Amino acid sequence: MIEFDRVSFSYGNRFVLNDLSFSVHEDERVAILGGSGDGKTTILKLIIGLLRPDSGKILIDGEDITEKTEDELRDIRIKFSMVFQDGALFDSLSVKENVAFPLREYTKMSEEEIDRKVRELLRRVGLEEAIGYMPEELSGGMHRRVAIMRSMAAFQPKMFLYDEATTGLDPVSADVICKLILDISEQGGGFIIVTHKVFDAFKLAERFMFLKSGTIIFDGDKKKMLHSTIPEIQIFLRELNWS
Amino acid sequence: MKKKAKELISDLQDFYLLSYHGLMGVVRRPFYFKDLIEQMDYAGSGSFFIILLISLFIGMALSLQLSAELSRLGMKMYTGKIVGISIIREIGPVLTALVFAGRVGSGIASELGSMVLGHQVDTLRVFGVDPVKKLVTPRILSALIMLPVLTIIGDCVSLFGAYYIAVFVSHQSGTFFWSSIRDILIYENVLAGSIKPFIFGSLIACISCYMGLSTKGGAIGLRRTTTRAVVASFIAIIVADFILTRVLLYVLGFSV
Repeated sequence: MIEFDRVSFSYGNRFVLNDLSFSVHEDERVAILGGSGDGKTTILKLIIGLLRPDSGKILIDGEDITEKTEDELRDIRIKFSMVFQDGALFDSLSVKENVAFPLREYTKMSEEEIDRKVRELLRRVGLEEAIGYMPEELSGGMHRRVAIMRSMAAFQPKMFLYDEATTGLDPVSADVICKLILDISEQGGGFIIVTHKVFDAFKLAERFMFLKSGTIIFDGDKKKMLHSTIPEIQIFLRELNWS
Repeated sequence: MKKKAKELISDLQDFYLLSYHGLMGVVRRPFYFKDLIEQMDYAGSGSFFIILLISLFIGMALSLQLSAELSRLGMKMYTGKIVGISIIREIGPVLTALVFAGRVGSGIASELGSMVLGHQVDTLRVFGVDPVKKLVTPRILSALIMLPVLTIIGDCVSLFGAYYIAVFVSHQSGTFFWSSIRDILIYENVLAGSIKPFIFGSLIACISCYMGLSTKGGAIGLRRTTTRAVVASFIAIIVADFILTRVLLYVLGFSV
């Protein structure tokens, strides 16, 4: 379980999160919505200890991670699978090497076993033929699919964290990513997806949080959100009328 | 003013910490040999022909200048000796380091900078990989190995360039030129010229890695990072060269 207890965070003089408190269970499917710069990605980075809060506590399974060292955080991080915006594939490595990266770091698998595992993962997302490609040869949607498979190659995470997983993709590619996220979730493990695309959020999540200026101004289900009178949420919901 | 001073101290502290951990990574597991070989290839074979070309022309230009000036004083036969000392003790190491900083240092800073902006460094941390060991240590080690090698090659090529001008343009004796070079290849001169590349190499790699890993602010930030890495490396090389020259002359017993 993830628990934020009065967490504040700033980049220099710019306050990003202000006294934020919430909790998420590991089997929940949560979408965090909000505008650019409102602190959505910061929340994900705080959960896995890539950033440290200025004040407050972040508890993962009851353990406060705010004072943990980089080595101690390794045990926390393997509970999660994080997929960054645009996939964050390593430019200098091929698709195969990217997916094999965590296997080489975390397991003692032989080269044949790694090859078999990589092919199996890529087959699952229809990208086995792209095994020898370099990241620059992939489309945006392929990038994300490879990144998702890489994130779950070496360990079985309890929860997935997706940063803008469908942003910048055409509707067909975005739909493929959404189906993949749901497919993975159905096999166990909840997720938190950070997005500003309400349409995709409604396809994926069951709980919605809306962030504005570092504060959660809404936390509820789809029905409650659709009837919300908060002006910012209504602006976001207009996307649904267009689609 | 006070805030800027604080920021400067904090930046320096981060730089020293990164350099320390990067250097300590050489003796701590895990070792990333594949990354080291890749970096050595990029730094070494990638810079080889540039160093070759620049060293050749610098050697020839130096020989021309000295031949012209010394022949007016009737001391043309000292060309080999002066050219040799200048190249081995000073011009060779500094010139090679400046070219290395311009090519390899800027490459390191922009590569690491784009990895930071593309969340690739964060991804390494998520996978439990120490970015300093994986990215910084191989780059420092490759600079420590390749810059001295390139300096030696550059020195040799410069001396050949100087020899060509002295013999075929200035009509000096080739045998006398090489015997002058042999005379100056004494322990003190060789040591003075071979310590510098190690210091310059570690400075270039540490500065470039630090600048790269502290990149912020998109494409403009990346441009700023690359420029700062090259400028800071150039300044560090020139300042370190003066300090090293002063210390080495004193330690090796040269009177000034």
